[in-house]
Amino acid sequence: MKGDIHNEARELIALGSALTNPQQTWLRTHLNECEACRNYSDGASHVVRALRSVPLAADSRLVRATQMRVRFHASRLREARERMWLIAMACVGVGFSAALTAPLLWRLFAWVGELAGLSRPVWEAGFVFFWIAPALLVSIPLLARGIHLPGGGERSRQ
Amino acid sequence: MNAAAYYFVDTMESEASAIARGLRRRDPELLDRLIEQYQHRLLRYLVFLSGNRELAEDLFQETWIRVLERGHQYDGKHEFSTWLYAVARNLTIDYLRKKSPVSLDGLTNDEEEVSFDPADTRPSALEVVARHEHAERISAALVSLPAEYREAVVLRFQEELALEEISTITGAPLGTVKSRLYRGLNMLIPLLKGAQA
Repeated sequence: MKGDIHNEARELIALGSALTNPQQTWLRTHLNECEACRNYSDGASHVVRALRSVPLAADSRLVRATQMRVRFHASRLREARERMWLIAMACVGVGFSAALTAPLLWRLFAWVGELAGLSRPVWEAGFVFFWIAPALLVSIPLLARGIHLPGGGERSRQ
Repeated sequence: MNAAAYYFVDTMESEASAIARGLRRRDPELLDRLIEQYQHRLLRYLVFLSGNRELAEDLFQETWIRVLERGHQYDGKHEFSTWLYAVARNLTIDYLRKKSPVSLDGLTNDEEEVSFDPADTRPSALEVVARHEHAERISAALVSLPAEYREAVVLRFQEELALEEISTITGAPLGTVKSRLYRGLNMLIPLLKGAQA
């Protein structure tokens, strides 16, 4: 059981300053009585001092380069966001006008189909094609550029 | 909690939420300030985590790019440094996994390059050599530890983070963090015996 006391003391030493008041009191009492644990505690303090003494620092070149890179990347993200916003607005506009003009366009196709003597499925297919062709034409280059991706597809190209 | 403690917690929370708001806006001024504020701590953590200064500098830049991209995920409820270390840690693990598909446990013996260069404060040549040797000795001792012990020791004793913060960053339970600290320290004490602090 004696070994457990020493292990417990060493575990508390390893926690550094994260001890409760009763733990600190108990540890202090134990260290007064136990030389081995006192040596361990000195060793631990030495390790902590040694770790904190390593003069490791970032240089100003790295900081400036990082700040510039972050700013540049932020502006690219902003541009991509603005582009997405424009596309979203265009989609809303197109959807709205399409909803308004669809009945008129349907009647126009029906009238032209009747005039040209086309069967109903033929002018209906023509109407559907006319309806989706602009969206297809726009979406193909957008997808190819990866504009739908976060960051405007830049990441996929990196 | 007394009035001073309330004030401290309140100030910390308002600062964290100000950072969270700024990160959501991708405020460049805020990011510049944060980069300067955390430059040494973050680089030190990355150097000790990766065991390589050059790689740590690359990861330093990538960490801030990720902070910019995912800043909206910081909720301002924890300290910013805790979140920052978690971002840096995940990035390092991702990078090292891509480089060679191993877990963090297996990243301990990267002996090819372990250069923890001291900061340039223009001391004498003798001081430079002594300082370099001292840094080399400590870095060699740290690198010889398993990566998860090394990380716990660095976060606790170098960066002086609370155990709960280390647990949040590493995603390990508090008990695991404590045992990693204990084992890490047990391994370091004989290795650093006699090293001048």
